[in-house]
Amino acid sequence: MTNPVQPVPCKILSVVQESETEWTFRVETDVRPQCGQFMQLSIPMVGEAPISVSAQGDGWVEFTIRSVGKVTNVIFQKEPGDLLFLRGPYGKGWPLEQFRDKHMVVITGGTGLAPVRSMLRRFAAEPGLVRSVTLVAGFKDEGGIVFRQELEAWRTPFRTIYTLDKGEKEGWRTGLVTEFVKEIPFTTFDRNYAAVVVGPPPMMKFTGLELLKQGVPDDRIWMSFERKMSCAVGKCGHCRIDETYVCLEGPVFPYTQARYLVD
Amino acid sequence: MNHDINIKKLRLNCFRQSKEDGKFMLQMRVPGGFVEAKYLSMIRHISETWGDGNFHFGTRQTFDICGIPYENIPAVNAYLKDYIEEVDEQLCQVNMDQVAGVPAEWDRRGGYPTIGARNISACIGDYHCICGNINTFALARRLEKLIFPSHYHIKINISGCPNDCNKAHLCDFGIIGCAKIDYHPERCIGCGLCAKMCEHGATRVLSLNEKNGKIDKDPCCCVGCGECVKACPAGAWTRNPKQFYKVILGGRTGRQTPRTGKMFLNWATEDVIAGVLGNWQKFSAWVMDYKPEYLHGGHLIDRAGYKKFKEIILEGVELNPECLVAEDIFWHETEYRSNFNVKPLSAHHTAGPQPEGTHAH
Amino acid sequence: MGFRIEAGLADEILRELKKSYQIYAPKRFPGQGRFAETDLIRYDEVSALSEIVFDEKSDYPAKEVITPIQQAIFYFTEEEYRASRGKSKPILLFARPCDINAQRVQAKIYAGNGGYEDLYYTRMRERVKFVLMECPGGDDTCFCASMGTNRTDDYGMAVRPDGAGGLLAEVRDEELLPYFSQAPAADFTPAFVTENETAVTPPEIPDKETLLKLKAHPVWQEFNGRCISCGACTLACSTCTCFTTRDVVYGDNPEVGERRRVSASCQVEGFSDMAGGHSFRPTAGDRMRYKILHKFHDYKARFGDMHMCVGCGRCTSRCPAYISVTATVAKVNAAVAEIRGALGQ
Repeated sequence: MTNPVQPVPCKILSVVQESETEWTFRVETDVRPQCGQFMQLSIPMVGEAPISVSAQGDGWVEFTIRSVGKVTNVIFQKEPGDLLFLRGPYGKGWPLEQFRDKHMVVITGGTGLAPVRSMLRRFAAEPGLVRSVTLVAGFKDEGGIVFRQELEAWRTPFRTIYTLDKGEKEGWRTGLVTEFVKEIPFTTFDRNYAAVVVGPPPMMKFTGLELLKQGVPDDRIWMSFERKMSCAVGKCGHCRIDETYVCLEGPVFPYTQARYLVD
Repeated sequence: MNHDINIKKLRLNCFRQSKEDGKFMLQMRVPGGFVEAKYLSMIRHISETWGDGNFHFGTRQTFDICGIPYENIPAVNAYLKDYIEEVDEQLCQVNMDQVAGVPAEWDRRGGYPTIGARNISACIGDYHCICGNINTFALARRLEKLIFPSHYHIKINISGCPNDCNKAHLCDFGIIGCAKIDYHPERCIGCGLCAKMCEHGATRVLSLNEKNGKIDKDPCCCVGCGECVKACPAGAWTRNPKQFYKVILGGRTGRQTPRTGKMFLNWATEDVIAGVLGNWQKFSAWVMDYKPEYLHGGHLIDRAGYKKFKEIILEGVELNPECLVAEDIFWHETEYRSNFNVKPLSAHHTAGPQPEGTHAH
Repeated sequence: MGFRIEAGLADEILRELKKSYQIYAPKRFPGQGRFAETDLIRYDEVSALSEIVFDEKSDYPAKEVITPIQQAIFYFTEEEYRASRGKSKPILLFARPCDINAQRVQAKIYAGNGGYEDLYYTRMRERVKFVLMECPGGDDTCFCASMGTNRTDDYGMAVRPDGAGGLLAEVRDEELLPYFSQAPAADFTPAFVTENETAVTPPEIPDKETLLKLKAHPVWQEFNGRCISCGACTLACSTCTCFTTRDVVYGDNPEVGERRRVSASCQVEGFSDMAGGHSFRPTAGDRMRYKILHKFHDYKARFGDMHMCVGCGRCTSRCPAYISVTATVAKVNAAVAEIRGALGQ
């Protein structure tokens, strides 16, 4: 009998500091997660946590991890050549087939950018996959900005609104992402669009409400949930909301479903 | 009114002089403060027939019936026969035909033979209380026969747990029921509620070990209250079925040198408590040169000195292996006046057998 | 096959069975109850019939044998995770119908949910043969008949104490039959409780809108003042499955240790806390709602065939704050009726 919670050792290929508190680890593996899926990452003697895949390529995946919590703190002492233990990928990612040929609106708060990063990289790498991309990315302050180089590079292929909750920065706006939803030109999208929202729970809630206010139908909004998980395979019960297990049916949910997922 | 009454003799008979001319208050023993409710009809009968119709809960859990005219006392004493026989002789198996171990025939219609050993008071204990570790009145009933009847004074308070609602810290010999707690780590879910409860209501000996998700304990400072047992959702803490006690010694109230008691024994078994109290008469007699005085136990310990007390009181007592004994005790008294103990040498108290012709103060 | 087994023979049979089986049954632990001089009844290995408590419901459920409060799932040395191997000796588990039916619920989650089969559950469950303890009727916290869990067919053997220290037994499992060759035949099949003193009607929540309104209903606020969030109800629950994993280092050598699975309670604060500090369901009322709706709505909404609650009543018995699950469901029903009325349903 196979053991669905058996972790597999994987070598760290590189470690890149993204921000004051965020680091990206590239790990050697043959698994090819869907954009938006997550994996269980563990370090012996420390523990295990669900981490979303922030990028992937031939023979590697990347995880962008915030320096919080017991598991993640120890990861920062790891260097290339060290081992991390992985299992997964788990859950349902972004429905890329449904997004094909649509105008895409992506709204993120903080490290909420990580779960959509691999999808954005694909949109940038494969012009024509979707009609257009509007990216609204917000961060608390300058120190919290992640994927700086990619954000700059995306200014060309995407329509971008980058914002800091507080503080000034050249080329950046100031304010919460919710304030910029009304600047998204939904009327030009010919009713052929989808909106993706990822960030801390309050940010997702209020952004969802703002989108509805702007006339976006609820079946065109998608969100990715983050929850505590001990197993990621529907056993431990931590991520359950009503009859839904975030690890199994999520982390990506259509808003039509997400609006009922009240903890 | 023209009375000729021996009030000292009446006091020994458990009748207290009243400020009302010629009247007295009866103090009925209720070991552990717990008897069947049927006795309330006796109280009512005495009070309404011979007293003033009222009664008071004595501060040491006696039934106190006040306003009894002197001339009614023989009738009250005759009526008390059944109560004393049932409660002391039968329930507590007290040998009433002795005083402090010396044979002395009890006049069954003459009421209580001595007042010295005061009623053993107790909280309700684990008969009812969710905190109680021991059955307090069962212990009181076991101890009653060791100290009563006797002219040597001792106040014993029993508390069922270290919350000490019955103030073991404020009597000569305070007994507190304690539990040794067993930990079953395989049942522990690491919720930490026990540690929270210990911090909130006890001695902060528990802490959640973040490394293994289990509880670390400082066993030395555990008071044995059992709050962790009560709190644990998983049964990971259980009371060891063997019951233990602390003895808090030498506490008192009073006009001269009130003080809280200090710990004499920790983790003693009931047999050790009984053994120690079995030596109480011997110790008191020795201190007062075999001539009882109206003087409470704590003062006797002061006169003898703690180390002498310890020597006599532990004679022949087999201590259980867990039992710890205070090597020394330093009480802290309230100083109503400074240098209270500094006085002419001739006014000093003596302890132990004195040469013929002298008398201890 | 039915048998009458005298006291002496019963212990002889038990001794023989112990050579091939681990035998677990509810056992009395004197003085280990929550309060002084009260007993605790929980599952443990037994060697004599007299150790088995038949006449009183155990404080903790039979699930503890199959999904223990704590178990090692991996051992690690330096850079290897090796799954714990577990034991192979089969288990005879004495249990009432509620506890046996509870395993249908646990299996749905552990052995089926999401298409993942949990190695640790399945390998333990496969070792277990149930010995059905005919239920003498439970107590006033029981409501198995309401939940349809008063009967079961999942047993290798069924027993009823004969009142004289022996047993009446029905042996259905071929592998167990040889152990009873000395026992005289007797006509016995176990009876099942058909009605409890207490009855429960699980709430009818017809749609998501009603559910959303129920979640926000003030009915849950009562528990903010009453529930102390200790989690005793979930530890006592026959069906609760939630756990947390934890890595533990052995002694002073940081290269050796184990990954443990430890029971977790949704009633205890911190159950939903994420590494970043965000937590959900911050009040006792929120957490009570989460538990009650899982037991009486959410589980069935997902798995279909039955409610999660098997009506064993242990949550009520163990609650130190006297919160009755049956009274709580009644209050929820009233709230649902109010919501449905307002929605014109």
